[in-house]
Amino acid sequence: MDVDNKPSDAGVELTEAENELYDRQIRLWGLESQKRLRTANILISGLNGLGAEITKNIILSGVNLVKLHDDKLLTEEDFCSQFLAARESLGSNRAEASLTRARALNPMVDISADTEPLKQKTAEFFRQFDVVVINGESNEELLRIDGICRESGVKFYATDVWGMFGFYFASLKQHSYVEDTFKYKLISKPNEKKKFETVATPVQRDVEYPAYSAWIDFDLNAASYQRKLKRDGPGIILLRVLQTFRNKHQRDPSYKSRDTDIALLQAIRDEIAPNSTLSNDALGLLFAQISPAVAIVGGVVAQEVIKVVTKMEAPHRNLFLFNPETCMGYVETVGVN
Amino acid sequence: MAAAIDGILPSTLQELVTKSKVLVVGAGGIGCEVLKNLVLSGFTQIEIIDLDTIDLSNLNRQFLFHREHVGKSKARVARESALSFNPDANIIAYHDSVTSTDYGVNFFKKFDVVLSALDNRAARNHVNRMCLNADVPLIESGTSGYNGQVELIKRGLTQCYECTPKEKQRSFPGCTIRNTPSEPIHCIVWAKHLFNQLFGESVEDEDISPDSADPEAQNENTNIKEIDGSGDNGSEDKEKVTETGSEFNTESKNDGNVVRINTRQWARDCNYDAGKLFNKFFNEDINYLLRMSNLWKSRKAPLPVQWATLLANGTKNEDQEFVRQHHKVWTVEECAHVFANALKELSCAFLKLKDNDTLVWDKDDQPAMDFVAACANVRSHIFDIERKSRFEIKSMAGNIIPAIATTNAITAGISVMRAFSVLQSKWEQCKAVYARLRLNGRNQFLVADAFFPPPNPNCYVCASEPAITLRIDTKRIQVKAFRDDVLIKTLNMVNPDVTVEATGSIVISSEEGETESNEQKILSDMNIVDGVILKCDDFFQSYELSIIISHFDAERDDVLFEVIADKNQLQPKREQKPKDTSAEQSSSRKRATNGRDIPDDGPSTSKRSRPSEVEDDNDDCLVIEEDDVEEIVNTKTEQLTVKSPPKVGAKRKPVKILDNEDITEILDSSDEEDLGPAKSKRTKLDDSQPNEVISID
Repeated sequence: MDVDNKPSDAGVELTEAENELYDRQIRLWGLESQKRLRTANILISGLNGLGAEITKNIILSGVNLVKLHDDKLLTEEDFCSQFLAARESLGSNRAEASLTRARALNPMVDISADTEPLKQKTAEFFRQFDVVVINGESNEELLRIDGICRESGVKFYATDVWGMFGFYFASLKQHSYVEDTFKYKLISKPNEKKKFETVATPVQRDVEYPAYSAWIDFDLNAASYQRKLKRDGPGIILLRVLQTFRNKHQRDPSYKSRDTDIALLQAIRDEIAPNSTLSNDALGLLFAQISPAVAIVGGVVAQEVIKVVTKMEAPHRNLFLFNPETCMGYVETVGVN
Repeated sequence: MAAAIDGILPSTLQELVTKSKVLVVGAGGIGCEVLKNLVLSGFTQIEIIDLDTIDLSNLNRQFLFHREHVGKSKARVARESALSFNPDANIIAYHDSVTSTDYGVNFFKKFDVVLSALDNRAARNHVNRMCLNADVPLIESGTSGYNGQVELIKRGLTQCYECTPKEKQRSFPGCTIRNTPSEPIHCIVWAKHLFNQLFGESVEDEDISPDSADPEAQNENTNIKEIDGSGDNGSEDKEKVTETGSEFNTESKNDGNVVRINTRQWARDCNYDAGKLFNKFFNEDINYLLRMSNLWKSRKAPLPVQWATLLANGTKNEDQEFVRQHHKVWTVEECAHVFANALKELSCAFLKLKDNDTLVWDKDDQPAMDFVAACANVRSHIFDIERKSRFEIKSMAGNIIPAIATTNAITAGISVMRAFSVLQSKWEQCKAVYARLRLNGRNQFLVADAFFPPPNPNCYVCASEPAITLRIDTKRIQVKAFRDDVLIKTLNMVNPDVTVEATGSIVISSEEGETESNEQKILSDMNIVDGVILKCDDFFQSYELSIIISHFDAERDDVLFEVIADKNQLQPKREQKPKDTSAEQSSSRKRATNGRDIPDDGPSTSKRSRPSEVEDDNDDCLVIEEDDVEEIVNTKTEQLTVKSPPKVGAKRKPVKILDNEDITEILDSSDEEDLGPAKSKRTKLDDSQPNEVISID
């Protein structure tokens, strides 16, 4: 079954080189998906460690174009996970510093850098892409870009990692995809031992994804949410605490002021969600970006982008949270009735 | 290098990361990612080992490697790339097999934690034993497609890797392969056997000719011979066709070997004439099968094809376009063309070999793959089975496990997160984690186990005094086969010594040449009979195992031994219906090789002769998800999440493994017969880097 056939998808055969390079993934998601990937244009904004991880995975998958966007400069703490930038590039623009290694990952992908501040980017800029991934931004900016993307039919992801904790929010507006449903079919003859075969049937689904504002408006203390909060753990509170910190102090918690910032985080926590199960220990794991956690969140985000582009399998709706202590990754449904 | 900067990690963790020594086993899909995470986290003492070299198809995920690295050592290139991320790290790279005797228990003891990122069960078993012995925590990981898993193995705290029986590989009865194929895979296995018959090492149990001893056709045997005598130009094949039932038993002159050499010789004598060979395999042999009329009473009879009718205009020499269209399903005529071209290339290559050298089938060798794809499809056509594209056949014939960058990244990330917890002795944070494509009933797709499954008290590896009962036909198995097939291939020892417990007499010695004179002896002639206890000791693995011999007389179609890890299971198993027992046996005997795990893989048909297996690929690893098929899909389009009822209680199902190794094939190599004992074999074995899929839920 084919969803929403773009004309560019049709009739484009992969080259022998592509078939060889992408062999192991084509065997997973099929030729059609690989062809869709080949036409996809992706924006990755924020080339910190998380940005580098997402970039790596997206480039390896074989998309058409990746734009690396960042107006910030490479700092020492980036070397905790930003493997696309060389040590010598300390102090230079993070997107530009990532270009050489990014291109080496897959010469078939068109990769370029953009260093203009995000705030100056208008709708025209975002419309060039099929999927926009924004990392390390304020809620205000995320709301603005999400608004543009929803108007333009561009799929929007907001994501972040603080230390070992991370999240993403998916705003896909209307998204259609195909997934297999499985049924058991009896294949043995009546007198034989029962033998079943699983039959996969592709089904198309159309799903509505709320805007990023749904998360801003989400009330953690709503009585109806408390049972779920208790079950899923305080990750969602931590996300709110960290975004509040970023908004209030116009920066993220810094290892240079570790103890002071932990105290500030505690204060915000006690204000936002008094008596929550969010422990002080968890607040000690939020500095810089720690490589293995970034690999997990970056892997998950890239996989979601691939799902969106290939229109295969359900993108998780809509708020993903990673708990570094248990290594659990789970999804909250925010703003969906 | 987080640990190099104060204030980033909690201070205890920072110190542990800085001073700990880590071993990474495997520099493939997960290994590359693990290595990156380790150097960036600030580990400075890292060693990495991998025997493999870089292949083009690795580059979509093994991101430390680029095009210019193809053919180079994975471990060494991974080291170079990782050092560019953090020049302060010390990385020692070994381009070697971890099962080499250079890496003994003392080597493992150097490390604070071992992260294994392997792709085959044999190496996993070995690393498991080494880490148990060295008492070093092992973080075991693997992926397959969208699925990944990470689990801690720690002596006394958790199950070991070998505590749970692994998924049996898929195998097929010889009769199904030779007489009555009904699925594409049957024809693919047959085509690979045909390749080996003509060009490969002569492996037992790989007959491709009709099996007239098929129990289903049994009562017509006598007729067959008569009819066959009057058959068209098939006189030299008569012996071949009626020759059946080759088994382990080398005493018997009935050994299939003779027959195989004949087929090979016959093809050679025909100058590999495509038409003659084609007609033999796809016309005469099929006509012969048709005469076994019992087989076709309830089945659709096969339809022989003829070279001359298919290729009225002769073969074309030039490489035609369809040959490179790997996603297209070739017509039978196209298959015949491919067959002719591949045959020409393979026979040329084969004739250039010296002495008794043979070709080794490799999915990435173009003519070898073409040959199998073409032959499998012609046979499928004959039996009215769906034909497949070369691309699909390659998956099945090479047992390729799909692999993507994201799953590897996620799995390796979890692996290193677990290493942090291990170093801090936060054991409660070390439970197994599974990565899945779809959400479970609690909206999770990275799911941690709720508890550590306790060690299996009857585990033949980590129990305090490991013992197994071995059901074995002591009257038919030689000492050499006992060592190679039971101890090495099935029980995964590397270089075993064996003595009889009661008398202390040495049966097998790890010293080269010391017990060579025993090798050809039948076990019962060595007084190894029912009730005897053997002490097996692998000094290298520091592994001792008692084997209690339980003799049984194997039927023709039985495999000749079965390992029973739990003594209590012995009785019930014996009471089972013969057909089930034989299924068990085949799988335990052949544990080292494997087939793909396919959800509809039910018990095989009742008639059995020697099972055949699909061999494997050399790539990353692992998981097949039962949830994917078990989930109840909510058809409401509004409801995006796919829900399955939350699972209750103990969740761990028996571990499923898809193992991808060519070990059987390699060890059976006739070329090695005279090379002597374990040492040379081990080297050979190491060359094949296999592949595996685990699924735990």
